[in-house]
Amino acid sequence: MQDLLELAVSATASGCIYGLIALAYLLMIRPTGIINFAVGEWAMVASFGGFIFLTKYEWPYPLGMAAVVAVMILVGWATERIAVRPLVEKGAPLLAPILALLGVLVVTREIISVSFPPDPLPVPFPFGIGRIEIGPIGGSYQSFFIIAVTLAVFAGTWFFFEKTLWGKSFEAVSLNRRAAALMGINLSRVTALSFAGGAGAAGLAGLLVSPNISAHYLMGVPLAIQGFTALVVGGVGRVEGALLGGLLLAFAEQFIARYAPIPSGYTQGVPLLFLMVFLLVRPTGLLRARA
Amino acid sequence: MKRLAWIGGFVILAVLPFFLGSYHNDVYRKMLLWVTLALGYNFLFGICGQVAFSHFAFYGIGAYSVVILLFQLGLPLPVAIVLGVVICVVLALVVAIPATRLEGFYLALVTLALAQLFIVVLNEGGNVTGGTGGIANYRLPPIFGWRIAGPAYTVVIVALLAGTLAVLWRLDHSWFGRACRAVRDNPEAAAAMGVDVARTKVIVFTLTSALAGIAGMVYAFVDNTVNPPIFGLENAFLILFMVIVGGAGRHAGAVIGAILLFLLPFWLSPLVGHHHQLVFGALVVAAILLQPKGLIGLWDRFSR
Amino acid sequence: MVRMWGLLACALLIGAADAQTIKIGVITDRVGVSKPYSEPATEGVIFGADEINRRGGLLGRKIELLVEDDQSRPDISAALARKLVEQGAVFILSVSLSPATQQQQTVTMEAKTPQMTPMNSADYLTTQLDNPYFWQTGPLGSVQIATLLAHAKTKNFKRVALITDNSDLGQAIAKAFKGTLEKAGIQIVAEEVVARGATTAMPQMQKLRAANPEAMFLAGVLTAENVLIFRAYKELGVKFPIHSSYNLSVPIYETVAKGLINGITFVDAYDPDKPEVKAFEAAYRKATGKDPQNLHGYGYDGIMLIADAIRRAGSTDKEKIREAMQKTNYAGVMGKKGMKYSFPEGKRAGFDPDGMVVRVYEKDRQGRVLHVGSK
Repeated sequence: MQDLLELAVSATASGCIYGLIALAYLLMIRPTGIINFAVGEWAMVASFGGFIFLTKYEWPYPLGMAAVVAVMILVGWATERIAVRPLVEKGAPLLAPILALLGVLVVTREIISVSFPPDPLPVPFPFGIGRIEIGPIGGSYQSFFIIAVTLAVFAGTWFFFEKTLWGKSFEAVSLNRRAAALMGINLSRVTALSFAGGAGAAGLAGLLVSPNISAHYLMGVPLAIQGFTALVVGGVGRVEGALLGGLLLAFAEQFIARYAPIPSGYTQGVPLLFLMVFLLVRPTGLLRARA
Repeated sequence: MKRLAWIGGFVILAVLPFFLGSYHNDVYRKMLLWVTLALGYNFLFGICGQVAFSHFAFYGIGAYSVVILLFQLGLPLPVAIVLGVVICVVLALVVAIPATRLEGFYLALVTLALAQLFIVVLNEGGNVTGGTGGIANYRLPPIFGWRIAGPAYTVVIVALLAGTLAVLWRLDHSWFGRACRAVRDNPEAAAAMGVDVARTKVIVFTLTSALAGIAGMVYAFVDNTVNPPIFGLENAFLILFMVIVGGAGRHAGAVIGAILLFLLPFWLSPLVGHHHQLVFGALVVAAILLQPKGLIGLWDRFSR
Repeated sequence: MVRMWGLLACALLIGAADAQTIKIGVITDRVGVSKPYSEPATEGVIFGADEINRRGGLLGRKIELLVEDDQSRPDISAALARKLVEQGAVFILSVSLSPATQQQQTVTMEAKTPQMTPMNSADYLTTQLDNPYFWQTGPLGSVQIATLLAHAKTKNFKRVALITDNSDLGQAIAKAFKGTLEKAGIQIVAEEVVARGATTAMPQMQKLRAANPEAMFLAGVLTAENVLIFRAYKELGVKFPIHSSYNLSVPIYETVAKGLINGITFVDAYDPDKPEVKAFEAAYRKATGKDPQNLHGYGYDGIMLIADAIRRAGSTDKEKIREAMQKTNYAGVMGKKGMKYSFPEGKRAGFDPDGMVVRVYEKDRQGRVLHVGSK
């Protein structure tokens, strides 16, 4: 029983990371329809940023974290400007920016790869390595920190979409671009904001997960795939879907690895089979968009 | 007259390896294989509009199948080849039939998962697949007492390329090709015009995957080794890049894209050292930004 | 008059011979998954070649290194091997992935060109193909587990756990570990795999804990995933000892796994007290201003072994080099004190099975040698 609760905490923390990446995808897909696989590399850039600000220059954690998020917002905005806007303005088919962003994925990874030594680099824990016990539930400081930050981000995002004017304009754009433009909503500003927000979310995910896995240049692609799986499971329609999808994926991965009586090597195949079955049975995801 | 030109062209391609050194022959034949793959993928993605990441996995399935059938099970070569094709077709159908019910991008996801699952199966396959070390130490069995190797084998690859192109070309210039394009551009309109959209998608997916599998069977005897890293996921993206950069929907585009992106690392590496991946990525982004229709668009512009 | 022309001709010939370098090919990975290991090894090779050239070269000629990047893509690797052969390389050093090395073997076997990997430790490299032109001087997975077991013999383990990752080398080493452990009559009560890209190793570690092993053998080679294993180990508060493959001898763990590794024993081929090691470190520091790691030592030994073989062969004829290489008896930087690389009875794996040491991490640094050899 103890194992189960402990695993639940670990799975929740991992699920939050996947959820944040899924949120990053979602923020960009909703208004533009563009699937940006470079979110994994964004997470990686943020973790290297964490290494620079927090390990190398030893800034206090809140300051370093804010700096990383600020840098990522800039990176997101720049990516949109360079790789997306020219294509949208030219009227290129939807596939073009998606592919351009795949190219950005390679460029980003290589810039990091040549700028840093090849070994993984350490990123510090904000609260050190320790355990908290809340009643029967126990986990590391970092796990709870991840959960807390993720909940805050999702709450903020939900609030943004539901209650603020900006959020409503996002919704309008995702429902009908032309109508939204006709109503005076600045399409390119919404797009730029969505990319900046997406980069911020992905960056947070990278920063939160990197103390555990350290910052290394190959961490991007696995995160991008896991995040996308979470998005598909949860559905693109609702923000909460991203978090739900992430949690489901992480729980499935970890509980099957722990309890299923199959050889350990095959457990890697589980999330893939999960995804395939899910797609065939419920492709729109678990949570439907609100009508 | 035109047909003579085509035949002449392929004869030149087939004779060329006999004049190349061992290294250039190796690069040449691998390039031809990538061109073959790109042509098939272009039909699936460029002409029929299906985004899939399993193309390279079927290349691997073909390669591993023929090796396992020939050397683990000891079947004679013709049987192994036919059985290998059957395996690819069956697997493609198993994936295609349910997957083509899904919206475009979901096919991409399922095939992405399939590609990853393939690698997992290879790694965990124990003695059947050789596990993480793969299978080596085999050679193409003699055909009619004659061992085909070196430049002579490149002729086989040229024949494969010619065959693939012939099949795809014929299909493209038939009503089936038009149906595919209709499915790509507007599935509802296509259905309204009487095209069975689901069946078209299944046929295209199965056919191109089988062609990729056949190419894989040919590849198995190029380096005489098959192991999981050869068939990794990055290659699926590379094929996509090739078709996009070259020009999706046009056979010539696939050829240009494949040749360019395959040879690019060889050229860049001595020039820019270990920054060549970076230059590669930047070139891909630039190509898409400047010419979303692919490099073939440039060719069109200049030949006007 | 004739004498003058004769002298001139001689001078020209000597000059030409001098200008003719000995070409040695190096296939490395500069951008892919093998980069963290290939990069330092290549630096060691370059340092060794420079050192040889500074001291007058090889057979009176300078060594010219032809370095190619295979991006960890095995099919490109094979093409590059052909390129090197065509460019006149008399020996090829493989410092990329094990599958890439294997792919290159099909070429070197055909082209009858000597090839060596100073670092790969996969056992299958010398067993899968019968290539008389290929040698492997990296410490085999089977050697590593034998050394670890020899050290652990006093503890008399009966039930142990095995954990690794899903990389090809991690799987190969785990296979070697498993075979030797089972042959020694030790029961493996749990066998777990942590996949590349995982965010935690908690499920695997919980499963291990539930099986209650007396010790855990670590065969994984991916740094990030190994760190996850150590974290889960610590978080779960388990206490069984950890014995690791030579992967933990890479110094990066001192930074990324600080506070997690004290007490972990690992096999290493690098004995810091060995006089050759001290000389190597001093020379490297002097030449480049940086401190070398053990990975540099593998590369350095690689080029030195080749140079030694060519010297004994007395020529750059590939057949003569092959014979000379097979007769190698050379003391390098890696290995325990007094170890020599040799290829007895036509074998092609040259790292002395008795040549590794077991060390332990103390105070977050690679500490003392606990055990030498595999007896």
